Amino acid sequence: MASVNNSINQRDSDIQKKIDHEIRMRDGACKLLAACTQRDQALEASKSLLTCNTRIMAYMSELQRMKEAQVMQRVARRSSEAGPTDDRRPCKGKVAISDLRIPLMWKDTEYFKNKGELHRCAVFCLLQMGGEIHDTDMVMVDRTLTDICFDNTIVFNEASPGFDLRVELYSCSSEEDYSAGSTPRKLASKLSSSLGRSAGKKLRAAVDPGAGSPTGGGATLLLPVPAVAGPKYHLLAHTSLSLAHVQDNFRTHDLITSGNEECTYWVPLYGSVCCRLAAQPDCMNQQMMSGCLKVKQLGGDPQSSTNVYGVLKGTNLSCYHRQEDIESNVEPAFTIAINKETRIRASEKDPDSNVQSISISNLYGGEEVTHTVSADSRQETHRWMEAFWQHFYDMSQWKQCCDDLMKIDLPSPRKAALVTSKQGSLYHEMVIDTAGDIGTVTDILTRRMQELELRSQLGTSPPWMSLFAESPGRQRSPRLAGHSPRTPRRLPRSPLSPSRCPRPSLLSSDASLTSDSDSPCSTSPCSRHGGLAEPLSLPSSRFRPRTLSLDAKLSTLRGRGYGGALQCSCQPPTSSLTPIPAQRVSQATLSCSSSTSSNSSSEGRRSPESLDSSPFSRPSSARRSLRSMRAKLDPRNWLQSQV
Amino acid sequence: MSFIPGQPVTAVVQRIEIRKLRQGEHLILGFSIGGGIDQDPGQNPFSEDKSDKGIYVTRVTPGGPAEVAGLMMGDKVMQVNGWDMTMVTHDQARKRLTKKNEDVVRLLVTRKSLEQAVRHSMM
Repeated sequence: MASVNNSINQRDSDIQKKIDHEIRMRDGACKLLAACTQRDQALEASKSLLTCNTRIMAYMSELQRMKEAQVMQRVARRSSEAGPTDDRRPCKGKVAISDLRIPLMWKDTEYFKNKGELHRCAVFCLLQMGGEIHDTDMVMVDRTLTDICFDNTIVFNEASPGFDLRVELYSCSSEEDYSAGSTPRKLASKLSSSLGRSAGKKLRAAVDPGAGSPTGGGATLLLPVPAVAGPKYHLLAHTSLSLAHVQDNFRTHDLITSGNEECTYWVPLYGSVCCRLAAQPDCMNQQMMSGCLKVKQLGGDPQSSTNVYGVLKGTNLSCYHRQEDIESNVEPAFTIAINKETRIRASEKDPDSNVQSISISNLYGGEEVTHTVSADSRQETHRWMEAFWQHFYDMSQWKQCCDDLMKIDLPSPRKAALVTSKQGSLYHEMVIDTAGDIGTVTDILTRRMQELELRSQLGTSPPWMSLFAESPGRQRSPRLAGHSPRTPRRLPRSPLSPSRCPRPSLLSSDASLTSDSDSPCSTSPCSRHGGLAEPLSLPSSRFRPRTLSLDAKLSTLRGRGYGGALQCSCQPPTSSLTPIPAQRVSQATLSCSSSTSSNSSSEGRRSPESLDSSPFSRPSSARRSLRSMRAKLDPRNWLQSQV
Repeated sequence: MSFIPGQPVTAVVQRIEIRKLRQGEHLILGFSIGGGIDQDPGQNPFSEDKSDKGIYVTRVTPGGPAEVAGLMMGDKVMQVNGWDMTMVTHDQARKRLTKKNEDVVRLLVTRKSLEQAVRHSMM
């Protein structure tokens, strides 16, 4: 009895300590909130405040519950000499929730609304199981986002199979004016007149003191200051997850939303949340029982029984020759399955040794295989039986989590630095990034022309050069930045060798990925290829004022007879500058001359083949983006990407 | 694997979990993909139905993380970490697989042999 009291007191003081800790955190958050000037800081501080408050409430209610339990126990003890209320308890486990994603459903009017600012909301999730409360990072949501994604993986360590994981989504409009006092009427009326009629009406209603609650009213912009100085989060949606939702896979669950369009903190949710909820009961990844056993297989040699060291873990009883084998990672001698279909019973005492043994029966592919297992002493046997019963009970409680071990990945600490602020926005994915901008492409094309000129001067031009027979002078004109021999920006890692190859070495198309040690190239004539020019040595990024759109550029280029015929793609010569055999030259010319027919399908597919040269090396990001842009622009290609 | 627009798609899928391999500052999976709603489906050598614009595995690097995880050439990728892959552009598919902050990608893939195996086992 004393030990029970001690443990309760221990837990009591633990919780008390936690409460004190949270109260200190809360004070800190309040002070930060009062002191900060930036909106982001204020939102973060307010989020911490909410989390602290929730934790404090959870701890206090747990304290309350424990006190009540204590009282009940004392009462029970006094009333009846009840024996140990030994209900078998299932083992605890770890429950992890990750890859939370909440799809949004913006109205089309939102997408095309040009007036007014982007309405942004700050959202985060609070995940609560028992007394443990975790919060995710905060995410800013605006109409360019199609889904709210939370990258955090949250692991609850002491979960019981009857757990109830409550997921709550909080949001807060990030456009409120938090400073005390000023609700500039003039500004409000100005805005309302510049907004549409219905929005303006809502705004005026909000600002109008005769309206209802000051926090409602549909005003998406200015509002009077809330009770706590600073941004206030509101519950937007919630749901509860339990063991039935656990699966080693991604599943979609329904959300219960609160709030409506009129609220400032409203974000149009599609109504579901997708996540991966995995559970690892302790019985699956910890040793539940271990000890020395004698194992005999029924149907085998009746006299032979093997002495093993048995370990009960997960769905197996692994039998090792020696105990030391476990540490040295030696494979077990054999394994007996212990799963939901296994039948275990105590068999009669062995007449020789007078010790009860346990028989374990499994069905292996239609055949029943029985092992008889006996321990050294009666207590041992009893302990093993007890362990088996507990194991079966755990498996019946944790259900599908015991079929196989679910993996729980803890996020690597490196991740934090690489997360970008724009997450999966539909519109941003359609943008051609600056490293592959058109200016770069035209530069490369013009440079290519220069090289071809040189080659023609050397008198070794291939037959298709006639296509480029127009005066080279013409193409210089559209260059935006007018400096002529342009030196490419040096890549930080590459040893640039500016020398040109003295011989015409024709290199195969775009296997330019091998390394960043490109020499600016080349003297090689180009093989035709589906798509725009593959740069020889592409500088990592060049920023140049661009005034022409892609279409305009292409049309000016096409006007000069390039069009689909201008497909230049070369591999930068390797540092050893090995001469390419003559066969390649003829092959390339063949492919070039046949390019006028839309044969680029095979070429398009051929291009990634040369990636085989070194399986794990990757093209520099700039080259990759240029290649992808080139491929995007030519619909005849069936694009392939290496990941 | 043809589909009727607007109707749910059912397929026998296999779960494949690939742990990315870190090479310097790159995380690689060791396979190539082809296809996408912005690509010409007639050029896909692996699809049964030549109007299928899904994402297919066109090459698996031997010894790479994808091969180790059991991915095979010709597989059609249905889902990546919960994100749908049956109606995405090629670039969206590539981006979903190459997120820098993810070390593990869990794919759902389908292949003809899976469907056949299920059909045979039901006979």
